[in-house]
Amino acid sequence: MLIEETLKRIQSQKGVQGIIIVNSEGIPIKTTLDNSSTVQYAGLIHQLVMKARSTVRDIDPQNDLTFLRVRSKKNEIMIAPDKDYFLIVIQNPSD
Amino acid sequence: MFTDEALDSVCIKSLWRNSQQSAQDSRGCQTKAVHITEAQVQTVSTTISGTQTEPQYQVTEQLFQQNHEEPEPPGLKDFLQRVEDVVIRELVRNTRSHAFDGFQVNWEDHSNLVSCLHCLQHPSAVERGLHVTSVSWSCTGSVIACAYGRIDDGDWNTERSYVCTWNLDRRGLNPKQADLVVDVPTAVTALCCHPQQPALIAGGLYSGEVVVWDTSRTQDSTLVQTGMSADSHREPVYQVAWVPLQKKGEFGVLSASSGGKVLLWTVDSDQGRLVLSAAYALVRQQVPHSSSISYKARGSSTVGVTSLALSPWDPDTFLVGSEGGLLLRCSFSSQKPAAAPSEGQSVTPRAPAVFSFRPRSGPVHSIHCSPFHRNVFVSAGTDGLAHLHSLLQADPLLSLRVSDSYVFQVEWSPTRPLVFAAATGQGEVQILDLGRRSLRPAATIEQGAAGRAATCLAFNRQNAHLLAVGKTDGTVSVWQLSADLTEQSPRESSQLEQIANQVAE
Repeated sequence: MLIEETLKRIQSQKGVQGIIIVNSEGIPIKTTLDNSSTVQYAGLIHQLVMKARSTVRDIDPQNDLTFLRVRSKKNEIMIAPDKDYFLIVIQNPSD
Repeated sequence: MFTDEALDSVCIKSLWRNSQQSAQDSRGCQTKAVHITEAQVQTVSTTISGTQTEPQYQVTEQLFQQNHEEPEPPGLKDFLQRVEDVVIRELVRNTRSHAFDGFQVNWEDHSNLVSCLHCLQHPSAVERGLHVTSVSWSCTGSVIACAYGRIDDGDWNTERSYVCTWNLDRRGLNPKQADLVVDVPTAVTALCCHPQQPALIAGGLYSGEVVVWDTSRTQDSTLVQTGMSADSHREPVYQVAWVPLQKKGEFGVLSASSGGKVLLWTVDSDQGRLVLSAAYALVRQQVPHSSSISYKARGSSTVGVTSLALSPWDPDTFLVGSEGGLLLRCSFSSQKPAAAPSEGQSVTPRAPAVFSFRPRSGPVHSIHCSPFHRNVFVSAGTDGLAHLHSLLQADPLLSLRVSDSYVFQVEWSPTRPLVFAAATGQGEVQILDLGRRSLRPAATIEQGAAGRAATCLAFNRQNAHLLAVGKTDGTVSVWQLSADLTEQSPRESSQLEQIANQVAE
């Protein structure tokens, strides 16, 4: 399955703690984390991405969001947005 | 003259050559006839049944069930092909980047000082020279309750004492006057606030009674008490704790006394009593012995319990420390009956001890389980050392010298996995950080004259900066800790994991 192989390739990068794929309504479709964390991440990050995208487009209507990175003390969350899906990857770069 | 003659042959028997034929004798026997019977059995009807456990979170499970019959979500494959390279490139670049090395953000005011916020005392207790025996924060984090009594009295005493509470968030806080003072007929030796209801406080008395006070009542604060019945303790109760019961939301009171009994009570507020629901008795003969430790039983056969700790990870385990230095791991669900003499109790006592750790040389005053690792706990006693143990092995992982005199209480910090605080007999509170290279304390809190022992301490779980310390001069001081003692750094959990996985030789 091409999807599973792609996810495996991303998971095998250094420091990756989890991957979640969320659809345009914020419902998680595929995940490598446990259920409660997945639901929490999906809900919160969907709102954040929507806010970030509207911020970028309000400043310049010709511009659009391509990538979002949230860096915290313990790890970094990378979000690749798209029309129908978001890919969320949680990485601990110092691992 | 010569004639032929025929003579008979002469036969001479050999003296040494015997006939090799042994004597033969033949006998015969026959057993009695053997009886044989045959019988047959046939099943007429058969039944087959099976059981299956179901996963708990059924509802959310169905969200991401990998249903191979369902068609893949449209466009998912293309989406992943588009983003895969970008994401992998960013991930790799991130691991190599030094852009954020040493970068720190100040979200809160960082205070680098440890300062004393309040020094609370109850004047009549101070006049009578009572000591603070126990402090406890309420579940909301704004009320501190303290119990007065004596720690140096070996004899039976019937002095009246107090339980006082102060609300630190109230504006008109008067350090010399408590918000609520409850008169108690004897010295109070243990105190614990309810983990969910801010008005309930459980206390253990010197006479062996266990009482629950309800501070929301204006009249008589006593909600329930055990009274002096056949069920209750006969010796001072050194520790009480609230334990979650089977039914969710209900809590029972667990009390441990130096008479060797650990009792679990349920609150029956209609009748105003505590009902005994389970009893555990510790007797020396039933203590499990590890093979490498030799322990000679001497003196009385009861194991006087001086400290108790519940494990936040495993609701069935509790740890017990005794006057003789024994450190035991016990189980609530143990069914073995205790070998203690029956005293007419309503519930038969059971022997809970499952595993015995290396015994100490003096009474174990305090045990606390780590809130960050399921196997780690710290214990301290009169030998001035704090021992870090793992539940899986008998020998301690680490032993740290905390002070030259007794250590009365140790507690783990609720925010930093590697930090714990210890209250010593010399009046200082030492805060130790296992992440530091040197094993000297990270901070020492001293106040006023030496010679006043610090008998108890409690971290505030809601507001991690606050630490309350009770001393023998009858004062309770509330300290604000500096930021480096309360903020977690990223690698602490894995360092604690490493320490816990060491195996003692």
